[in-house]
Amino acid sequence: MRKWIALILVMTVLVLTGCSNEDQIALDQSNEPVANSQSSEGNDKSMVIAVNAEIISLDPHNISDTLSRSATNTMYESLLEHNNSMELEECLAERYEISEDGLEYTFYIRQGIEFHDGTALNAEAVKYNFDRVTDEEKNLRRRRNFLQVESTEVIDEYVLKIYLKAPFAPMLDRVASLSIISPKALEEYGDRGIITNPVGTGPYVYKEWVTGDRLVVIKNQNYWRSGPQIETLTIKPILENGARIAMLQTGEADFIYPMPTEQVNIVANDANIEVIEGMSTIARFTFINTSKDFYSDVRVRQAMNYAIDKEAYTNVVRSGYSTPLSSHVPASIKYHVPQPLYEYNLEKAKQLMAEAGYPDGFKTHIWAPNDTENMRGMEFVSQQLAQIGIEAEVIPMEEGTLSNSIYSAQTPEESTVHMWYVSWSAFDFDGATNSLFHSRNIPPTAPNVSYYRNPVADELIDLGSTEVNSIKRAGIYSELQEIIWEDAPWLFLGSDVLLSAKRTTTEGISVGPGGAINSREASTSK
Amino acid sequence: MKVNTEIKKKQEDYKFESPMIELSRKFLKKKVATVSFFFILFLIILAIFQPTPYDISQTDYSNTLSKPSAEHWFGTDEYGRDIFSRIVYGTKLSLTVAIVGVTVGAVIGSILGLIAGYYRGIPEMIIMRTCDVLLAFPGLLLAIGIVAIIGPGLINVVIAIAIYGIPNFTRIIRSSTLAIKELLYVEASQSIGVSDLRLLFKHIFPGTVPALIVSYTMRLGTAIITAASLSFLGFGASPSNPDWGAMLSSGRNYIGIAPHMLFYPGLAIFLTVLGFNLLGDGLRDTLDPKLD
Repeated sequence: MRKWIALILVMTVLVLTGCSNEDQIALDQSNEPVANSQSSEGNDKSMVIAVNAEIISLDPHNISDTLSRSATNTMYESLLEHNNSMELEECLAERYEISEDGLEYTFYIRQGIEFHDGTALNAEAVKYNFDRVTDEEKNLRRRRNFLQVESTEVIDEYVLKIYLKAPFAPMLDRVASLSIISPKALEEYGDRGIITNPVGTGPYVYKEWVTGDRLVVIKNQNYWRSGPQIETLTIKPILENGARIAMLQTGEADFIYPMPTEQVNIVANDANIEVIEGMSTIARFTFINTSKDFYSDVRVRQAMNYAIDKEAYTNVVRSGYSTPLSSHVPASIKYHVPQPLYEYNLEKAKQLMAEAGYPDGFKTHIWAPNDTENMRGMEFVSQQLAQIGIEAEVIPMEEGTLSNSIYSAQTPEESTVHMWYVSWSAFDFDGATNSLFHSRNIPPTAPNVSYYRNPVADELIDLGSTEVNSIKRAGIYSELQEIIWEDAPWLFLGSDVLLSAKRTTTEGISVGPGGAINSREASTSK
Repeated sequence: MKVNTEIKKKQEDYKFESPMIELSRKFLKKKVATVSFFFILFLIILAIFQPTPYDISQTDYSNTLSKPSAEHWFGTDEYGRDIFSRIVYGTKLSLTVAIVGVTVGAVIGSILGLIAGYYRGIPEMIIMRTCDVLLAFPGLLLAIGIVAIIGPGLINVVIAIAIYGIPNFTRIIRSSTLAIKELLYVEASQSIGVSDLRLLFKHIFPGTVPALIVSYTMRLGTAIITAASLSFLGFGASPSNPDWGAMLSSGRNYIGIAPHMLFYPGLAIFLTVLGFNLLGDGLRDTLDPKLD
């Protein structure tokens, strides 16, 4: 009798826990239109993308990480967009005009597009978005991309004019980075509410977001151009590399990004899996803090660059999926001019070290986040520098601690960082240069962690960002690249080859050079 | 003369046998424990003499991830370093971290346990309630918490292991002390005015040693796992140190193509921990008169 009671109790508990989970899901789904939920049940076409990090926020104006951008891109669109070869194309704007002096941008907005909540897309709605992102009080993360915007004006129902304070060359790239949110939804949900109630014009409509577990979006039935051929798309963070690959192998995931470089060989023989290589805007390098005694000498920094075997770096750290960095920006970025590589030459390196007065090297340290890939890269750098007597202790740090340690220094003298192994990705030349090399951008302001302060470079950076003529701009940037390369405030390592992998049944999902996933035309034949 | 030698011989026959020898004999009868004992002795010798065929940080980028061979017994890692050499060197790291950490924990724990058991009252309450709080945390979580506060690094792992070992030793020593305190010889010592300090360390503490030894040995095994786990999670040894846990952690990305990178460090941890636990079992059987 007692046994039976116990059994019944256990069963009840099990059923109750089961129910409570269901309840939660049901609650999550409750704000979605009924029609949609029925159609998604009736059709089995759903796809899963597994990624390596967690989605941080779904407010496209207040995110700075690539993955959150991938996530918001399923639901939001911009006036312009980058295609996979980094060229700008019109999206929500039909066409645009730039005034001679480079101070006025006129956008002609495509007609007949509606947000997911039925609000019409017009110049007023776009202006609302520009006003939000440039609002000083709100100070959203994307605001720093639009510091040059003076004002916006609605000319006509579908014509919007943007006035700049000064000519700003990368303006179109910045416009392409601004997702347009439904003004009605913004009014309704507010700045915090919009995170969990995203309403845009994109190919998918929001269904649910369970933080740390999944984001589910469903097909936008009223999409204005050719959209996805599937009903449901799920983005799942799977942090462990092995688990992500296993999901792809079993078919649980249809697409994974990134594909861990060291495991390509494992899936090479799997007929159901295809590994996709693509170029990237990701540069991997090491900041050398030029404000520190031994690093203030350019010969030491050059010697360090000569001491790195770039080919070995590619093979050991990226399993062959990297190309040597031939300038401070990757080759995929416009205006990139290849510089003569610092070839691997220990003799020359040792000679330079001796000339600089450090024939026996010195002791130093190198920092990086504590994930496996960064640790591997940092350890490699340390091993290479040991060849010329530089003893660099590797110190892995948790991301938060790391950025705290770097940005807490108020002056160069206070800085404790010696070297920082890191990667950087940007859409345009200015984004890949300004905050990393301009003297006004040293910590705590921005990540010029090399404390690189060269007045000539500063001037060229400023000139380049305001020069609208692209030929003149190319000339300025060519000169700038030469100067930075010579000064070697970084260890120039490599630019990633982007690796993603998909089931052979998957079509229409791709990863752009910046690392953002584009799933607009997703379809599957499974 | 003849008579004399005979008497001498007789005296030898009745020679007093030290309990140490008796215990050793008893211990040696337990085969598994004996094997573990010699295995751990072997590890200690490895740790001291470091017979590494290669320099542990010597890289060879043209020979990365190679399988075990005559040249590299356990294969090479992602930088082409010899895994066998690194595991041998790792023995020293693991044993040092575990022994230092557990010893510090045992010393502090024993003192606190003696005080709590002997004086009772308020000191006992403070000590034991603090121990309860520490014991309420799962072991590894407490260690992670400690390392998160004082920062990563091998020395801090030692500190974490010491701190989280304290409450266990305190409890064990306290309970032994409570029992011994009531024994007649302690009462006798008290009645002739032996000082507290002398009584605690000279008369009571030796009685707690059997329990201490068993617990100490078992703890070493746990400590090695904790240290490896912390390093695996990136809280412990720096990645260039050949710590077993750190080796496992960096090897897990290569599990499909170079399983030897995980197998050998894993085996080393497994055997060492098993060794300490079996030795601890054997010692308990030997030292605990109740189990006879």
